[in-house]
Amino acid sequence: MSKYIPTIGIEVHVELKTNTKIFSSSKNGYGESANSLTNVIDLGYPGTLPTLNEEVINLAIKAATILNCKIRRQMHFDRKNYFYPDNPKNYQITQARTPIGYDGYVEIEVNGERKKIFIEEMHIEEDTCKSAHRGGVSLLDFNRAGVPLIEIVTKACISSSEEAKLYLEKLKELLFYGDISDCKMEEGSMRCDANVSIRENVKDPLGVKCEIKNIGSISNVAIAIEKEIERQEKLVDNHETFQEQTRRFDDKLNDTILMRVKETGNDYRYFPEPDIPYVELTDQMISSAVTSIPMLPDERRKLYISRGVSEINANKLIANRSLSDYLNQFIDTSLSFKEAVNLLLGDISGYLNKNEKTIYDTTLTKEKFLDLIKKMEENTLTSKNLKDILKQILESEDSIDTIIKKCNISNITDTKMLEDIVLKIINENEESVQDYKAGKDRAIKYLMGQIMKETRGSANPQIVNKILIRELNK
Amino acid sequence: MKDQLTKEEVLHVANLARIEISDKEIDKYQIELKQLLDDVEKINDVEGYDEDILIACWGENTNLRDDEIGNMLNPKEVIESAPRHSGNYIEVPVVLSDGEGA
Amino acid sequence: MEVDNILFGLPIAVKDNIITKGLRTTCASHMLDEFIPIYNATVVEKIRKKNMIIIGKTNMDEFAMGSSSRTSYFGAPKNPWNKKKISGGSSGGSATTIAARDLLFALGSDTGGSIRQPASYTGIVGMKPTYGRVSRFGLVAFASSLDQIGPMTKNVYENALLLNAIVGKDEKDLTSANQMEEDFTRLIGQDIKNMKIAVPNFFMSDIVDEEIRNKVEEIIKMLENSGAVVDYIDVKYLENTVTLYQIIAMGEASSNLARFDGIRYGYSKENPKNIEQLYYKTRAEGFGEEVKRRIMVGSYLLSGENAKTYYNKALSIRDDMRKEFLNVFKDYDLIIGPTTTTTAYNLDDSMDDPSKSFMDDVLVIPANMAGLPGLNLPIGFDYSHMPIGLHIIGNSFEEAKIYHLASFIEKELGLDLNPNLGGEEVE
Repeated sequence: MSKYIPTIGIEVHVELKTNTKIFSSSKNGYGESANSLTNVIDLGYPGTLPTLNEEVINLAIKAATILNCKIRRQMHFDRKNYFYPDNPKNYQITQARTPIGYDGYVEIEVNGERKKIFIEEMHIEEDTCKSAHRGGVSLLDFNRAGVPLIEIVTKACISSSEEAKLYLEKLKELLFYGDISDCKMEEGSMRCDANVSIRENVKDPLGVKCEIKNIGSISNVAIAIEKEIERQEKLVDNHETFQEQTRRFDDKLNDTILMRVKETGNDYRYFPEPDIPYVELTDQMISSAVTSIPMLPDERRKLYISRGVSEINANKLIANRSLSDYLNQFIDTSLSFKEAVNLLLGDISGYLNKNEKTIYDTTLTKEKFLDLIKKMEENTLTSKNLKDILKQILESEDSIDTIIKKCNISNITDTKMLEDIVLKIINENEESVQDYKAGKDRAIKYLMGQIMKETRGSANPQIVNKILIRELNK
Repeated sequence: MKDQLTKEEVLHVANLARIEISDKEIDKYQIELKQLLDDVEKINDVEGYDEDILIACWGENTNLRDDEIGNMLNPKEVIESAPRHSGNYIEVPVVLSDGEGA
Repeated sequence: MEVDNILFGLPIAVKDNIITKGLRTTCASHMLDEFIPIYNATVVEKIRKKNMIIIGKTNMDEFAMGSSSRTSYFGAPKNPWNKKKISGGSSGGSATTIAARDLLFALGSDTGGSIRQPASYTGIVGMKPTYGRVSRFGLVAFASSLDQIGPMTKNVYENALLLNAIVGKDEKDLTSANQMEEDFTRLIGQDIKNMKIAVPNFFMSDIVDEEIRNKVEEIIKMLENSGAVVDYIDVKYLENTVTLYQIIAMGEASSNLARFDGIRYGYSKENPKNIEQLYYKTRAEGFGEEVKRRIMVGSYLLSGENAKTYYNKALSIRDDMRKEFLNVFKDYDLIIGPTTTTTAYNLDDSMDDPSKSFMDDVLVIPANMAGLPGLNLPIGFDYSHMPIGLHIIGNSFEEAKIYHLASFIEKELGLDLNPNLGGEEVE
């Protein structure tokens, strides 16, 4: 264990899932051709003015609620002034004095203990444009300029890279499930900066802080923090003084590298944005945002486990949002969640993955799924049967009964018919009957196999088993 | 009270404003900017400051816009006004430092 | 096409800081001297809807910063009453073209008197409407919390007609106000019996030339004789308005003009070695002296703790000042005084004093600071036959009342306001 105590704060930028940009009606989109998603406002043309997207406020209220933040009822925007080519007006519209959310927390579980990671504040702002460097020039694509962001800033209360990782995983899960953002780090819709310092004693003042910018994945955040702690420990051990600085994580080096030493405080010349009057959040706005928050992961986990699903399967299901949402349609039914989850994570997931589909791309309606699970519980449809007709169930509009009929698949539950077959097999396999009577249980399996073969797998195994044992014991 | 700004003070504000000034201009601005700064200094003679007044606009609260996609520009229109462009991109000379913002 | 309104087919000049699609919009700056916009300002859409014809763009102080139009990259317009004199500013070009009787209608913009002061110097009617009355979308911002577009005409009635055409809530401008549809000409011609009028003592103090004060006093007597009640009152903060204005206008301007960086549009330094050079040289060469000075001071005013001690404090006191005015309007219908402290001065007067362009507007700035409507009405001439203007300030959204009084005085005076240029060219 190191003799130093790390102190870590994390800032996360998340792009909001809206149709349009925050201050203009241009499309909020990713991966479209350069400069095809802009208008005169996004480009900062002379004379243009911002308008404010209602959905941004709605999503920000939801996010603040999910992060247990207090919500500011009257807020305004501020201008952050700095010259940079990715900043079209050379000021960014943000919230410096009245962040929409403040004093919140996210709860994580570290080594079996629950810990609150405190959120200092959460504010709304606009994204910058994208620049790509080619030789002596930079190329600017303004599609991203004005995409709505929320920035979530923790207090300096994180004490290890593990906690940082758990916090980010939890945050990502919450924002994704809250329908706030798609949180794709690889596409930049979630971006993390970490502030790291170390000190020897909790009573000491905080050490010199270094900021690591724009780390591309959660696991790299953990690595970057580790590396930064190591770097600072070496410096302190050698009694070297060092300055506050900004570093970035380099994937290839698997280490942080210096970007710039911080000057004596950036002079952003913040002042209230005169083009946007006060924004008043009414009770109605807040309650309608809050009631539209979907069920969050912790609640889902609790629900699934209470309905007999194993913890492992519950977590697996939550990792697959669309399957979890699919299952949640049945909360008010008496559906066996255990059976349903087995099927969703098993054969159905297999089919979906193979065909690169989501469950919503299939013909598996709510009624059909209920019918399917019922038939499986009653054993009128065996798992063998299911494998044969899964494709039809998921691709055809027919009911399961129709599919069973069409595919000539019968699950033989006709006891009289089964008795005949069982007797036939017993008569044909005298040797195995003798083995059974001599106490060799293996013989039962063999006889069962023969019966299933005879029926081409369509016999109900439980019924067959019952008849077979009865007949053998006669 | 001194009657002009120092050269460093002039260069500091010129840097904030990203405006190049020559040595000759520095002399001029040392006096001119000082005079304007003396003007605004008079606000210290005015009493009363309510820190809760944060915004210049009065009247109604902000009307919010429906989240519906509107007209956008053709990339050709975007680059047409730009002094330098390449393909559908606007071009700028090499950027020395990384961004400071979001 | 059917003639569907009274302004149909009439020509109009538009100040060159109002964006016109496909029509060069320069803000009288080298920075934009070849800038051809790809969209229209909301007011331009509105006058096009009336089928008015934009006949040209008018000269102005660069980015509307100045009070004599001499900071224009293209040179200053000359006053039609005396071509050695300034036309005022920043809407000097619009004022000149109306005074010279080239046209009946022009649009100006007014951040700290830029419609009313040149209107006074050139003997025309100029209205700065209530802040929020006219959309600012497409007006190149100087100081966002003060800027307002307004009509400039030769008489009161035509002014009210043009205002009718350009007002209205605009969803593209969050600072534009919800407002009832109204006809601004509706009170024109009515008598003014029992109208209550206030004259702030500051407006008649010795900062104003005696000749001008005398002329305003004549008007006051005439109003009293016509049944109006006129009281001299004290209004707090009037002596501080220039200071507040300097802080707010320069602070906001420094940020609003940051977008002119040579990247997306406008002037751009050729062959810059790097981005810093592009910024520094483009802005050094693209902006004129007055603009650079104001941007630098504005940057200083917002820098570090200064934002609090200057800008935020100015906003707060400005709010108090507005309340002072609103209190006055509990007892009075209108406030009057002179528009300017002097009549138009010489084009070749020194421009060395950086405070002068602000002090020229000391009497008109209060209306911008309080967001109130204000109008200049020509009321006569000084000894050298240069026009003198009366300033009428109204309560928020009470432009119609201003036109009421202005039209009454206009009719009573019956002045000949044609400078008789004898067909000479006016720049």
